Amino acid sequence: MADAQTKVRLREYDTVFLLKPDVTDDAVDKLKERVRGVVTREGGKVIKFINWGKKKTSFAVSKQPRAIYVEAMYLGQKNLVTELERNLRNIDEVTKFLTTKVADEIDPESRPVEPDEKRAGDVEEAPRPERSERRDEFSAGGEADEAPAGAEE
Amino acid sequence: MSFEREGRGGGREERGGRGGDREERGGGRGFGRRKVCRYCADKNAKIDHRNAGELKSFVTERGKIIPRRISGNCSKHQRQVAIAIKRARMLALLPYTVMQG
Repeated sequence: MADAQTKVRLREYDTVFLLKPDVTDDAVDKLKERVRGVVTREGGKVIKFINWGKKKTSFAVSKQPRAIYVEAMYLGQKNLVTELERNLRNIDEVTKFLTTKVADEIDPESRPVEPDEKRAGDVEEAPRPERSERRDEFSAGGEADEAPAGAEE
Repeated sequence: MSFEREGRGGGREERGGRGGDREERGGGRGFGRRKVCRYCADKNAKIDHRNAGELKSFVTERGKIIPRRISGNCSKHQRQVAIAIKRARMLALLPYTVMQG
């Protein structure tokens, strides 16, 4: 009996999904709970959610230049992935997702649940005008250097 | 007989000469140091499609994957890098292509 229990081995998966940039934090939390519900219903176990925050995408995704990235790390069997991806496809806020297998044959006991993480995402660039001012100063300095040389001649 | 031999000998010399040129060229082209695979040198470094900043160094400005002979990766790690780049493209972390001009 004890052997039968220890034989329960799951695979570790990692799903990154992109949300529309106008999704609020509350909606993201709601979506996390929905994903967690699907995973537990299919006999899996969520290890961790990582919210990468709003990031600039390399190309427009659903006509938006930015997207909210959320990463889910979980254990489960292969039918869980198909079920989860089916669910993600039905959610309007999710624009893209990618699931990768991290490891085979994981003992669920060996991977404890970790607290969710939230990252800041991309920072909007602001201090541009200062730089242009500095450049003006440099160019002014250069002219000042050149002027005496001309005077010597 | 002797003429024939000379002819053949000349042919060999030519071939030998060409081979020599090739070697010289090969030697001349290899200026600089021999590149080492970054992931073989550092066993702790992992190739991860979520780490777009690191993968960017294996992609040209146009978004194309840099070949092994230039990046210096070993074949094993180049394969992993290529897969990671393709996955990062799916997540819009890296571009498929960059429009220019």
